[in-house]
Amino acid sequence: MILQRFRNFFGKWLSPPQRDETLLRRSFQEHYKIFRSLLTANNNALELIAEMEQALNSGRPFGMTFVHSHCTALSFQVYKMIQRVQELSDNRYGGLIQAFREVSYNMEAILAAQPVIAGGPFILEMNQIDRRSADQAGEKMANLGEIANRAGLPVPDGFVISAAAANHFITANNLQDEINRRMTICNLDNLEELYRTSAAIHGLITMAPMPEDLDRQMHDAYRRLAERLGEQPLLAMRSSALGEDSGNASFAGQYRTQLHVEEEMMAQTYKEILAGMYKSQAIVYRLQRGFRHQDVIMCVGCLAMVDAKVGGVMYSRSPTDPRSPYVVISAVPGLAGQVVDGRVDTDIYEVRREPPYGIMALKLRRGADKEILSDDQAGELCRIGVRLEEHFGSPQDIEWSINQQGAVVLLQSRPLGQASIVETAVLTTPRPSEEDTLFAGGVAACRGVAAGPVYVVRASLDLLQFPKGAVLVVEHPLPEWATLLSRAVAVVSETGQVAAHLATVSREFGIPALFGIPGVAGKLENGQVITVDATGGRVLSGRREELLGEPAPQPDLMKGSPVYKVLEQVLELVAPLNLTDPASLYFRPSACKTFHDLTRFCHEKGVSEMFSFGSKYRFDEKAAKQLVGETPFQWWVIDLDDGFIEGYDRHEKFIRIEQIVSPPMLAIWEGMTAIPWEGPPPVSIRGFGSIIFQSTMNRELDPSVRSGMTNRNYFLVSSNFCNVSVRLGYHFAMVEAHVSHLLTENYVSFQFKGGAADENRRYIRVQLLKDILERFGFRVEQKVDALTARIEKKPGPFLQSRLKIIGYLLIHTRQIDMVMDEQVKVEQYRKKIVTDIEETILQPEEPPAAEN
Amino acid sequence: MGENPKILFVDDEPDFLETTIKRLVRRGYEARTATNCDEAMVVLGSGWPDVVVLDVMLAGKDGIQCLQEIKKEWPRMTVIMLTGHASMGAGIKGLECGANEYCMKPIELDELLEKITIAWHEAFSSAKKQ
Repeated sequence: MILQRFRNFFGKWLSPPQRDETLLRRSFQEHYKIFRSLLTANNNALELIAEMEQALNSGRPFGMTFVHSHCTALSFQVYKMIQRVQELSDNRYGGLIQAFREVSYNMEAILAAQPVIAGGPFILEMNQIDRRSADQAGEKMANLGEIANRAGLPVPDGFVISAAAANHFITANNLQDEINRRMTICNLDNLEELYRTSAAIHGLITMAPMPEDLDRQMHDAYRRLAERLGEQPLLAMRSSALGEDSGNASFAGQYRTQLHVEEEMMAQTYKEILAGMYKSQAIVYRLQRGFRHQDVIMCVGCLAMVDAKVGGVMYSRSPTDPRSPYVVISAVPGLAGQVVDGRVDTDIYEVRREPPYGIMALKLRRGADKEILSDDQAGELCRIGVRLEEHFGSPQDIEWSINQQGAVVLLQSRPLGQASIVETAVLTTPRPSEEDTLFAGGVAACRGVAAGPVYVVRASLDLLQFPKGAVLVVEHPLPEWATLLSRAVAVVSETGQVAAHLATVSREFGIPALFGIPGVAGKLENGQVITVDATGGRVLSGRREELLGEPAPQPDLMKGSPVYKVLEQVLELVAPLNLTDPASLYFRPSACKTFHDLTRFCHEKGVSEMFSFGSKYRFDEKAAKQLVGETPFQWWVIDLDDGFIEGYDRHEKFIRIEQIVSPPMLAIWEGMTAIPWEGPPPVSIRGFGSIIFQSTMNRELDPSVRSGMTNRNYFLVSSNFCNVSVRLGYHFAMVEAHVSHLLTENYVSFQFKGGAADENRRYIRVQLLKDILERFGFRVEQKVDALTARIEKKPGPFLQSRLKIIGYLLIHTRQIDMVMDEQVKVEQYRKKIVTDIEETILQPEEPPAAEN
Repeated sequence: MGENPKILFVDDEPDFLETTIKRLVRRGYEARTATNCDEAMVVLGSGWPDVVVLDVMLAGKDGIQCLQEIKKEWPRMTVIMLTGHASMGAGIKGLECGANEYCMKPIELDELLEKITIAWHEAFSSAKKQ
């Protein structure tokens, strides 16, 4: 490749027609501007690719907006590179457009893929559904149908308004495009914007008219239910989203449930529940868990209200220990929903799983002198819990009621989430009170320790002011506070326990949560720094470093989610680099299968077009100036624009280093010359044999094909740019840098390949280089014996210090591949290189390691 | 070519415009706003701006149509597309219609200013040779 460049550059040196010097220089500068534009686009494209890869690996949440906007921005930059390289080359690479179209077409197909909506009826009766109906009835109702129709346990009678109905409602009112538009322009980091978007979409849905056919079928279903029951029932209308309650994502309390609904309010309530998909906490939750809003389809269960005497939640296994012999039951007088809302304190029972189902532990709700459940009732619930676990094949989280007649009715059963199992403690492990303990006791809704300033939230208005990194302090752990869990470091609540929805979501997000601390919201002041020790059941004043220790690893909430999968598929068309060797026959447009390939190809050709300028248009002056002075090798320098000092005579054949005004080149040079090269390492017979063997195998190393030109090393420079292609010994390296006061266009990139030794030794040398470059802040990719390293968007002095390191490495890693089979030598070189860099190459005030 | 380019923002989100303009003025930039294409054309007609920052998703005439109108009248005007939600097709169409740069919303103001400066310099240096 480089050989070709030199042939291009000098091969036709004498033949092309001579042009007017001023015109020629102008033409050259024009080429250089296009080249600069190509480099800027290349830089932007590589940065976008890196951001996409980081998003996939970081575990931090991202939404479809992130994926869409990155794909669009990336395609813009890649297409710009193609345009530029075409301009530079007089449209020589037409195949690039076709390759670009193929990649973009496939990407757009991935981005546009829509969920398949199940067809079928708008209404499903409870006796028609079971677990297999999830794609029509939603997870929650499908499970409830399973309980009634397959497990034979009691559930309320009712019907489900299906996924097909929800789709019909949205389509008939033409809402989806407007919802998508509003969702994509919303900056979800801005709570005010989030609430505004949420309210606007809520308005769109609730104000839309009910399609007549759907309305009629709902009322027909209600009348059939009334006939079966022999009365006009009040309804509990419950969200049952597709994808809700699946796997590890609980969607706990994110959507709406409306109780005591009369027939005439059914249609309006249906719309309210559909709109509940866009409640702020639901939007944030989906973002955090990697669900696309268009993937969530809201079915609605309409169940006859249970006149509940007692209600609650039951875990078929202890949340702390999946093998425990207990069922854990929380109970309150009245409706079960109060438990998950977290507004009231509950009785907690631990009941042995085998007959006669004895109560092994009991904690009464505050102020109560007697338990709510009789031994028989607790036993009956426990029996049902074990039965459901057996039926569904995994521990279950069950919502239940006992009606006025004393019969148990089941309202919901879903898998007890992994997060609940691993991280929960029903009761805290009390640690001794200390002088600065502000509160003690409560239950650890999610274990862990965190510290931050207090922020008390009592009303929705308070939410908007909630600062990132604060401790969320509330009176009740209401589900709507979940909006703040992506911003809070810990949660403290006056009421509530482990079964509250907010507790479930805290565990999913790994946010320490301590519930059941009476009076806490009234006694803490905003801004006061506290440490929440949820595991130890304490709130302490100040920041207690000794308790904080190592922060617990955050759970990776995104992996495997729908949005994650979309990005993963898109990245297959973006990130892999198939074109690594410019000398290969396959280094051509039709071989570009990814955006990375296209950027690589365009960059390579852009550089070579700059080199070949001289072959197309003869310079009057000699463009390449030989560098003179005490230099270890011979170097030539080509000025692209303004890289030589003013007044330099361009007819000169030679140039001195002090006549060059390209800070990036000078930095590389300084690194190259700071420490004299000690010469090649002493090589054993084995190492020498390896070189001879490689020389016979590798045509590039054959002296008979090397011309004088290939031994020349060139710097292309301007006042803020430098590209140097180097062949020192048997390896090839290219360094390129742009250094200016604009951070966004600053970068250093370094490519390195080859060597004379066998593949294994070359690999070890590249591995050593990778370690060292990473140590000093480079992002490095390695493929066998080839390496690319980059740093972007850093200030000039930082980049210059890194260029010095590269200059040093270019000289001092020469030929060391030959001794890379000896571990001791590898370590010796590593130590010497790091010491040289830290003590000599970097000045004392320069950034020593990978800090930014 | 003054030190800082004069910037016209064309966007139909008033909140975005208001905050951006305030912050730009605080940094010593001259900036104006237009909420649709017709307004933008009037400001451009006065010969005031150096750079146009254009949202792709405008109400009325969309950003691409607006870009076409701008480039028809003022082919050398530096235009930067700024959007949170354009399709890949719209991005390419913008480039083919002469957009100089493409940025994603949300964007840090410093980064936007640098992109503006780079695109402006790039366009200016090629324009001066035309």
